[in-house]
Amino acid sequence: MNNDIKAGVIVFPGTNCDIDTFRACEYMGWQTEYIWHDETNLDKFDVIFLPGGFSYGDYIRAGRLAKFSPAVMALKGYVKAKRGFVVGICNGFQVLCETKLLPGVLANNTSMKFICEEVMLTTNHEGLPETVKFAIAHGEGRYIADDATLAEIKAKNMIFLQYNNNPNGSVMDIAGLFDRENGIIGMMPHPERGIFDETGNTDGRYFFEMLAHAIEKEKQLCKQ
Amino acid sequence: MKKYKADVIVTLKDGVRDPQGAAVDTVLKRTGMEDMAHVQTGKFFTLTVSGEDEATAKAKLNAICEDVLSNPVLERYTIERFVEA
Repeated sequence: MNNDIKAGVIVFPGTNCDIDTFRACEYMGWQTEYIWHDETNLDKFDVIFLPGGFSYGDYIRAGRLAKFSPAVMALKGYVKAKRGFVVGICNGFQVLCETKLLPGVLANNTSMKFICEEVMLTTNHEGLPETVKFAIAHGEGRYIADDATLAEIKAKNMIFLQYNNNPNGSVMDIAGLFDRENGIIGMMPHPERGIFDETGNTDGRYFFEMLAHAIEKEKQLCKQ
Repeated sequence: MKKYKADVIVTLKDGVRDPQGAAVDTVLKRTGMEDMAHVQTGKFFTLTVSGEDEATAKAKLNAICEDVLSNPVLERYTIERFVEA
């Protein structure tokens, strides 16, 4: 248990995975707080979550309007100062892409259907099993990027999760990205829905444990 | 300060798959209404922008289109109307 880790969960109007994410952080033993979208100071947090949902009603396009909220403006400074980790899940990933904190963009699933199911994913990070089963629940999860961006993603080893059976038409089966240089993770799958035994799937713990490890490592480096 | 009325259409760039358009295409083909419709879907916005003169207002409108109304990674916008109000 890491009770010296401070986690923040940003809540926009329309966010609906904030409680799940909060509970997952609590399960990890982290000191967790909700951050309302008009907050401008994020310095005390070691990790900040942009949870799933429909921020600002997904008006114009998913994640589009959240990029103008004070909390996301502050998040840019947080990233620039390399203060801690940023994790965008589902709508949070869309917000990170719209904000250009991560490259590319999420478009409508090729099936035009809202997909809600558990999927097998291949991971690319130390400390995670080779494959994990996470829940997905999205209508706009088709990851798109141009060739130059994809080349950069490959060169920087940013692919974090890939679908084993691509459900939404994402290029290169991309389900999640990890900008290791800046500590930014974005993914469509929901690890926070795989924490408690009652959900019948606890693979999400692997992700949160990996994250705890990464935060601890970062904290050690800062102390030195 | 002058005011201008603007209409903006945002569509997907060429080459970006448009599943909504494809679905409408399928219906048109299935019903025999049109075989070569190549439907593209998009969004329509109408708004008022202000500025000292036309050029300033137009520049502001372009910034609004790029920053707020569209995502240049996969969408493009066209200004259909720009008239003094």
